[in-house]
Amino acid sequence: MRKVFMNHVELKQVSKSFGGIQVIPPLDLSIRSGEFLVLVGPSGCGKTTTLRMVAGLEDASGGEILISGVNVTNNRPGERDCSMVFQNYALYPHMSVRDNISYAMRVHGVEKSEIDLRVGDAIKLLGLEDYIDRKPRSLSGGQRQRVAIGRALVRKPQVFLFDEPLSNLDAKLRVEMRTEIKLLQRKLGTTAIYVTHDQMEAMTMADRVVVMRAGVIEQVDSPITLYEEPINQFVASFIGSPAMNFMEGFINDGTVVLGDQQVTLSPEDAARLCSATPVIFGIRPEHFRRSDHQSELSLTPNVVEPLGAHTLILGSLEGQKITVQVDPRFEVEPDIRCTVPIDMSQAHFFNPTSGIRL
Amino acid sequence: MYPVRYEDMVLTKILESKHLFIWPAFLTVLIVSLFPLVYALIVSFQSIRLVPPIPPRFVGLDNYAEIVSSARFWGSITTTAIIVCISVFLQYVIGFTLALTLHHNVRGASLYRVVFLLPMFLAPVCVALIAKMLFHPVLGPVNDLFTIFGSPNISFLTVPPLAIAVLVIVETWQWTPFVVLLMLAGLQGLPSDVFEAARVDNISIWRRFRDITFPMLLPLSIAVIFIRMIEGFKIVDTVFILTGGGPGTSTETLTLFAYNEGFKKFNMGMTSALSFMFLIVVIVFGSVYLAAAQRIVRRYK
Repeated sequence: MRKVFMNHVELKQVSKSFGGIQVIPPLDLSIRSGEFLVLVGPSGCGKTTTLRMVAGLEDASGGEILISGVNVTNNRPGERDCSMVFQNYALYPHMSVRDNISYAMRVHGVEKSEIDLRVGDAIKLLGLEDYIDRKPRSLSGGQRQRVAIGRALVRKPQVFLFDEPLSNLDAKLRVEMRTEIKLLQRKLGTTAIYVTHDQMEAMTMADRVVVMRAGVIEQVDSPITLYEEPINQFVASFIGSPAMNFMEGFINDGTVVLGDQQVTLSPEDAARLCSATPVIFGIRPEHFRRSDHQSELSLTPNVVEPLGAHTLILGSLEGQKITVQVDPRFEVEPDIRCTVPIDMSQAHFFNPTSGIRL
Repeated sequence: MYPVRYEDMVLTKILESKHLFIWPAFLTVLIVSLFPLVYALIVSFQSIRLVPPIPPRFVGLDNYAEIVSSARFWGSITTTAIIVCISVFLQYVIGFTLALTLHHNVRGASLYRVVFLLPMFLAPVCVALIAKMLFHPVLGPVNDLFTIFGSPNISFLTVPPLAIAVLVIVETWQWTPFVVLLMLAGLQGLPSDVFEAARVDNISIWRRFRDITFPMLLPLSIAVIFIRMIEGFKIVDTVFILTGGGPGTSTETLTLFAYNEGFKKFNMGMTSALSFMFLIVVIVFGSVYLAAAQRIVRRYK
């Protein structure tokens, strides 16, 4: 039995510099045993570098990395008992699907019967029965990624590392695969670290999400907490689709003044926020709806996008762009001013200079 | 009938004008390459001697028969084949090793990259002249090196096995850079994530080379060896300078044999026939090599 550690993977003050430029300032992160942790952020935020440091493909410039309580900071990638799934699949092009999956075990002298058993299981689990003798080049992107996942899981590693494994697949397949990966990970109970730039992937797959920006961890929380209680304006804008609307304004006697319009605050917010403070008012497109703490805003629609389940209005309000999600039966015409309800219990307020949520 | 569209007319014009572009190139090839080849083929069936001049006489396959029955011809094939096989093998092994070393970014790799390529830029005649001095039986530094260890003076270029060894060394020294250049380009074109996947899977460096790098570069390796083989068969200047084919004809290569027939005996018919025999020999060796390579490739396909 593998010993269960509360904190399976730990990063202590890990930093990374490339030629004198610090791309990742010292960061701390602990990943619990069996947890599915997603690192998300815009490109260049250091999420892939962080993952590669855990894998050992990049050396940490400072700090310690612990896996199951063992300091692996200076260990070679092979000595860390991780397996990794890459963005471009990284299959051995001259080996068949079966050989790709079994290669590492054959090199390490695992018994033939054991190899056959594990490869058989993986192939069945991933639905690759019909392709075992094919070469990667005659497989589709989704099948290749499945082979790569199979290659990672047959080794029964301590930690799975995923580096944007779905970003080369088409949209439909991506949705299918993310469910498959999630189910697989839950079934195996293996700790997983998953890197993506797609917040939707992060939200749907993660037990906990790490939002990163410019090498710094902005917030680590469950998907729903990130959505409901973003720590700052960056996290608020990054999580959720379509993105949250932000408008400059100030608090005045239980209302927010946005240009020449006013919306009434919910009682909790009114009690909390001091009068006359300038704020960034944030509201998600889906929170333009009727509720107990309702207010109204009028705006000029520029484009109306009927999506079936709901309709998106891309409009302008006091010279600022705004996206509103309304019921499909909502009567709206481009360029004709309309009034939309707004659920003030879902409103967020941010400090205009620091971006921190008030 | 459909009306003729303007676009179609333009297209037709373009299609017609393509001949204008092809013909000059085709004519040039015809004049400078095809015509001499056909002329040489005709000459090879004749007996032509320039000095003393003898009027051309059609002799059919006599020239070829004479070549095939001469021991000198078979000797030159053997010499050429030995030099080519050993030197190309060494070039490939040393070249690939150097390319791997350079690829893994040793300190000062960019300096080595330039230095390693230098021999390739020298004219073979110069290389041969330098080698002749290096391997001089009395004055050469290589000889000095051996005499330090108490060996008597070695006449490198007058003992047949040693002379061939010197030729192999010179060929290897000059053409290993070519292998380095191409194999390095091949290595740099390989996807890096495949090797990262292998590293994460705890595959040792030797197994990574044996199971991943080598098979992935196999098609390139086959092409590189093929090019070096064909080029190797053409060796003439190095041998001409270093040994002149001697002692006797023991280091005479095919091309040098043809040169001696043509420019020492001025026996043009014989020389042309020899050139065609050379072509046949290269085709035979090339085909055997490619067939063997094909079998190896199939194992990995």
